[in-house]
Amino acid sequence: MNTQAAINGIQSHHKYPPGDLAIWIFILAELLVFAVFFAAYAFARMNNVELFNQYQLTLDRNSALINTVALLTSSYFVVQGVMRIREGDNRACAAWIWAAVGMGMLFIVVKMAEFSHHFSQGVSLSTNSFYMFYLSLTFFHFMHVLMGMIILAVVAWKARQGLYSRDEHTGVETGASYWHMVDLVWLILFPLVYVMR
Amino acid sequence: MNYQSQSVAKLYFIAAIGLFVGQILFGVILGLQYVIGDFLFPEIPFNVARMVHTNLLIVWLLFGFMGAAYFLVPEEAERELHSPLLAKVMFWIFLVAGALTILGYLLVPYAGLAQMTGNDLLPTMGREFLEQPTITKIGIVIVALAFLYNIGMTILKGRKTAISLVLLIGLLGLALLFLFAFYNPDNLVKDKFYWWWVVHLWVEGVWELILGSILAFVLIKTTGVDREVIEKWLYVIIAMTLITGIIGTGHHYYWIGTPEYWQWWGSIFSAMEPIPFFMMTVFAFNMVNRRRRNHPNKAALLWALGTAVMAFLGAGVWGFLHTLAPVNYYTHGSQITAAHGHMAFYGAYVMIVLAMISYAMPLMRGRKVAGSNRSQTVEMWSFWLMTVSMVFITLFLTAAGVLQTYLQRYSDEPLPFMVVQDKIEIFYWLREVAGVVFLIGLILYVISFFVGNSDPEAGGGVEESA
Amino acid sequence: MSQSFTKAMARNIFYGGSLFFILVFLGLSYDTNSALPERDNRGAITETVAHGKRLWEENNCIGCHTLLGEGAYFAPELGNVYKRLGGKAGIIGFIKSRPAEGIPGRRSMPQFNFSDEELDALAEFLKYSSEINTAGWPPNIQG
Repeated sequence: MNTQAAINGIQSHHKYPPGDLAIWIFILAELLVFAVFFAAYAFARMNNVELFNQYQLTLDRNSALINTVALLTSSYFVVQGVMRIREGDNRACAAWIWAAVGMGMLFIVVKMAEFSHHFSQGVSLSTNSFYMFYLSLTFFHFMHVLMGMIILAVVAWKARQGLYSRDEHTGVETGASYWHMVDLVWLILFPLVYVMR
Repeated sequence: MNYQSQSVAKLYFIAAIGLFVGQILFGVILGLQYVIGDFLFPEIPFNVARMVHTNLLIVWLLFGFMGAAYFLVPEEAERELHSPLLAKVMFWIFLVAGALTILGYLLVPYAGLAQMTGNDLLPTMGREFLEQPTITKIGIVIVALAFLYNIGMTILKGRKTAISLVLLIGLLGLALLFLFAFYNPDNLVKDKFYWWWVVHLWVEGVWELILGSILAFVLIKTTGVDREVIEKWLYVIIAMTLITGIIGTGHHYYWIGTPEYWQWWGSIFSAMEPIPFFMMTVFAFNMVNRRRRNHPNKAALLWALGTAVMAFLGAGVWGFLHTLAPVNYYTHGSQITAAHGHMAFYGAYVMIVLAMISYAMPLMRGRKVAGSNRSQTVEMWSFWLMTVSMVFITLFLTAAGVLQTYLQRYSDEPLPFMVVQDKIEIFYWLREVAGVVFLIGLILYVISFFVGNSDPEAGGGVEESA
Repeated sequence: MSQSFTKAMARNIFYGGSLFFILVFLGLSYDTNSALPERDNRGAITETVAHGKRLWEENNCIGCHTLLGEGAYFAPELGNVYKRLGGKAGIIGFIKSRPAEGIPGRRSMPQFNFSDEELDALAEFLKYSSEINTAGWPPNIQG
């Protein structure tokens, strides 16, 4: 890995924030929604700690842990993809991004297994306020993972077509920024909903 | 005016203004019925007057949107309208159908109207804002389809700009969502659930796309700011609108028998709904500050800036005021709702249509860029009279609503509805006074079309660069 | 900096974001529809209730009253009127008692001249409405 080239790249023509400014408006809005959702969770839990603690035990922490690792790994892959394109290597970039999409796929499969387990037990949004928050937050985040995967797939496809270059790869950075946001939200969601007591 | 066929918009705008006057007359009647309960009873009972008031509002705004589209689309597409004849035919069909419906409300008891128009075959009548006989609703769908065909073909064959595409998406959404007006199950909860797909997804969804694109068009024309910049912001604003507004529908699902998770989803997303309106305000002022030329049509610019501010206040701030579930538990269905409804509709939709009329009308009446100074002065007076009186209507209704909420729902000894209404009567009187001032403002607005027509154009008919 | 804020990206966010939230909304609506049978008192919808709803609509009651808080704000909330007026008899008695020429200077409900069968249907509809699970709304009996 040629870190020096990457650093030079950053210094020479990398602005802050990376990617398209429009995505950052969107990312901030999304983070705001999640922040309010998390605050609402904390508020509702405060008024009903026992219920939340009791039903938290029914969640599958191992799957959630696997998913945390999956998303962290995928974010690492995305970083690698961005590094490669900063060196102008479209093919390697595409490969790394596809790997990240694969990790996203793993997340989806594990999460679906979790959902189907809960649904088979008749759990729904109306069961109680813990499940309401658990299902709402994870479903909403789940949709974001799907959205992120679509964005990354487009980026990887365009990279494979050689549509980015050392000098112009805003699209890759834009997709990467969004994906990191999805990852970041999970890193708060996981301890908050699955672990914290 | 660059294309001959744009002039069909004139018909639509004249009809819109005429119906607007009717709407306000009935508004003043309603305001009086609030304080003199038997005014015009039993000839025009409150429910009939209210139906006329709200239905005229919807119909004249639709006329305004269509007129705006007919003026804006040829200019954006850089070609003549696909069929000016179709536009004219549809205008008369819509006007006659609308007039017959309003006359039906006024001359026949509503139950009789339902029977006459065969409501039993496909019952859709008698739900708030959707009171039109089923046959009128079908007429609206036909007019909308013909209109969309006309606009769509013009855009397809011509230049496709972000403004015209966003407008088209908004109008398409408007027509599609209206189809839920035909779904009226016996189950009251389901009825209400889908009723909001028309009402909420119109005013807090697709109509905002129409608002955004008309505003963007007027700003491009009057400020000369680069289209690229304006269209970029248009996309960001309407993206935020739909992101917050679609799930924001949940703020209507708190107390109508729908699951309680909507209290969370609805509160969280609708709390964000002021954001796009705030962005719109910042955007409008920003573009005016960065203007490349001084357009002589000061009145149009005033309406455009006015709509950005008043939409934020009415829809954004007054909406937020009672959108959170714990607050809404007490304010739901009170005068607070009425206060919000009045300012939001005026700020977001009345003012944007008037901005478009203000910009387009002088051009369609043969001026090069703007009306005379005298007519603009009268128009700007009408702007301030209507806008300030609307602010007061909203404030008085808010005061009435706060008191009503406290006396009827919050105090230790809740009082019956009618007792509370008597206690807050003073605010209804004040609201009525403000309503009369609004009517005066509107009359002045109509007068502005008739003064200074022989005077020279403001700014000598040329735009100066800033 | 402003170079990297492109119209194409803003457009993609508009299309992508809208589609995304439409899907989330449809998902929630699907769940709502499956949860409704528990809350919407559908078991009570008889032919009489359906007839009452039609009468409610065809006389434009919503033009003055609110029902579950929605409608006009000129006359009292009727979602809980069944409880407030103490049952069907109270509702029927009130509707029948309205003077045809109104009350001088005051708001008054019109006299609709309903038949006994129609009055019963309306009252049944309002009874059904009062038994919908509205998450504890209105806050008290005054509506």
